[in-house]
Amino acid sequence: MGQSKIHYWFVGPAIFLMLLLLIAPVFVAAGLSMTNYSLGNSGFDWIGLENYEKLFSRRSYAKMFTASLTYVLLVVPISVALGLGAALLISSLKIGGELYKAVFFLPVMATLLAMAIVWEFALNPIVGVVNDILRSGCDKDMIYAFFTGSWYGNNALESWYGSSCEKKFPIWLGDKKYALGTIAFIGIWQAFGFNMVLYLAGLTSVPRELYQAAHMDGADSAWERFKLVTWPMLGPTHVFVITISSIRSFQVFDTVEALTQGGPSKSTYVMVYAMFEKGVKQNLLGIGSAITIVFLIFVLILTLIQVYFVNRRVHY
Amino acid sequence: MYSQTNWLGEFFKHSLLLAGAIVVLLPFYLMLSYSFKSPSEIEANKGGFFGTQEIMTDNRCIKAGNPEEECLMRPIVYNYTAAFKEAPLVRYMLNGIFVTVSIFVIQVIIALPCAYALSKLRFWGRNVVFGMVIFCLLIPVHAIALPLYIMLAKVGLTNTYAALIIPWTISVFGIFLMRQFFMTVPDDLIDAARMDGMGEFSIVWQVMLPTAIPALLAFGIFSVVAHWNDYYWPRIVVTGNKDLMTPPLGLRMFKSDMDGNEYGPMMAATTVIVLPLVIIFLLAQRRFIEGITMTGMK
Repeated sequence: MGQSKIHYWFVGPAIFLMLLLLIAPVFVAAGLSMTNYSLGNSGFDWIGLENYEKLFSRRSYAKMFTASLTYVLLVVPISVALGLGAALLISSLKIGGELYKAVFFLPVMATLLAMAIVWEFALNPIVGVVNDILRSGCDKDMIYAFFTGSWYGNNALESWYGSSCEKKFPIWLGDKKYALGTIAFIGIWQAFGFNMVLYLAGLTSVPRELYQAAHMDGADSAWERFKLVTWPMLGPTHVFVITISSIRSFQVFDTVEALTQGGPSKSTYVMVYAMFEKGVKQNLLGIGSAITIVFLIFVLILTLIQVYFVNRRVHY
Repeated sequence: MYSQTNWLGEFFKHSLLLAGAIVVLLPFYLMLSYSFKSPSEIEANKGGFFGTQEIMTDNRCIKAGNPEEECLMRPIVYNYTAAFKEAPLVRYMLNGIFVTVSIFVIQVIIALPCAYALSKLRFWGRNVVFGMVIFCLLIPVHAIALPLYIMLAKVGLTNTYAALIIPWTISVFGIFLMRQFFMTVPDDLIDAARMDGMGEFSIVWQVMLPTAIPALLAFGIFSVVAHWNDYYWPRIVVTGNKDLMTPPLGLRMFKSDMDGNEYGPMMAATTVIVLPLVIIFLLAQRRFIEGITMTGMK
C-alpha cells in the first residue's frame, strides 16, 4: 500500500465536510461577531468589538450569563449526586436493579420537548397535579406537620409550605422566583439517569479485592468502605460525568423555548436561547454570533478540563 | 463476607428508589392518562388513570354543522382522532423517519471509509487528518448552529429536507469510534482479502462493514435517538412549513396552535410521538443503554 491514491477517496469527503460544516462555521461566527450583519441586507459594517462590549455591559446579557450559570450550577451537582446515589443503591440491590435502571433511563431517551410539555401541564397552577398534590397535604395533619417543620417546633406559618397552604402554591413557570428552578428541575429529571448509567459502568471497574482489603483494615461500615474505596476509585468517572453534564446543561434550549421563552423578566434567558432569539428570530446576526463565540469558549474550556484530567488518569 | 441479607437495609433502599421511580414516571403516567380522559375529567383531576370513558360530545364537530348524534364519542377516541386530524402527525412521523435514517446512512457512508483509512492504510498526512478529527470533536455542533443557518440561508436551502440533514452528515465522533474499533481488527483479515484480489472499496464494504456491526449498532442507536428527539436544529431551519416538520417541531406547533384547553388531543399527540422510541428502548434496553452511554460524548 502507500503507492495507491485510494485513500483520497476515503478521507477526502470527510475532510471536505469537516472543513465546510465544522471549521468554517467557527470562522464565520468569529467574523460576523464583529459586524452588524442581517440576512437580507446587501452589506454590513465592521463594528469591531462593539457586540462584545454590549454583551459584557448590558443588563439583559448579564441576566443571560446569570441564568446559564445558575442553571448549570443547579443541574450539574444535583443530577450528578442523584446519579451517583441511584447507581450505588442499584448496584447493592439483591433484586430489581435492572428495573430501576430502565425506569431512570427512560427520561434520557424520551423526546425532551414532548416531556417538557407534559411537565408544563403537571405544573399548571390551576389544573396541574403538582399543586393539587401539594394542596392535598395541607389538611392532613401529619404531612402538614412534617413539611412545615411544626413537629420540630417551627412556626408552621413561617415555613414555605405553611404559608403556601395559607395563600396559594406558586405559578411555577410564570413566577420569576421559581421559573429557572423549575426548568432546572426538568433538566435534572431528564439527566440524572444518564449519570447513573455512567456511574454504574464506573462501579463495575472497582476491583472487589479492594473492598476485602478495606475490610481487613477495619473499614466495617458501608460509609467507610465508600469513603476509602468507592469514592476515590471513581475518580475518572467523576471527571467524565461532571464535565459531560456541564456541557450538556450549558446547551439547554428545548425546555426554555417551549415553556418560558426566556421569561419571566429574562430569568430563564439562557445562552443558547439568547443565541436563537437574537440570531434567528430578530435577525441580529452580529450579536448572535458574538454569543456563539463566547458560548464556544465556555464549552471549549470545559472540554479541555475534561481532556486534561482524563489524560492524567485521575487515580488516587 | 456481607452475605447476611440485611432486610431492613434492602427495604430502605427499595423505598428510596421507589420514591425516585414515582417522580420519574409521573409525567409518563400523566401523558397516557390525559390522552384517555375527557376535558372535564382532566380539569377536575378525576376518573383515575383511564377515566370513566363516558360518551362525550365533540363541540368542534357540532360547530362544523353535523347532527348531534354523529358527534358523540368516547374521550379516548375523541383525543386520538383529534390529534391526527388537527395536526399532520403521520406526516411528522414520516419526516422524522426519513430525516433520521438519511442522517445515519450518510454518516456511515462518510465515516466508515475514513475510519478504515485512518486505521489500516498508511499514507502521507494520516496523522494530520486524525488530528483534525480530534480537533473537530471539540466543536459542539449545537453551538455553531447560527453560522450554519446563515450559510444555508445564503444558498437558499432553509426550509428544505437538505437543511435538516446536511449539517449532520459528518459525524467526527462516528469516525473516531469506528477508527478505534477498526484498530482492533487484525491486519491478517485485510491482507487475506487483498490476496483474494479484493479492491480497497470492496474491503471497506464487504469485510470491514460486517465486522463493525456491533459498533455501528451502538452508534446507530445514538444517532437515531439524538436526531429523532432533536428540536433545536429543526426549529431554526424550518419556519412555518408543516410539510417539513419533524415530530418534536410538529408537536410544538400543535401546542401553539391549540385553542384553549385541548389537553386531551395534545397529550394523545405527545404519546404518539414519544411511544415508538420508548417501546423500542424497553425491548432492547441493554443495547440502548450501552449505545447511548458509549457514545455519550456529545
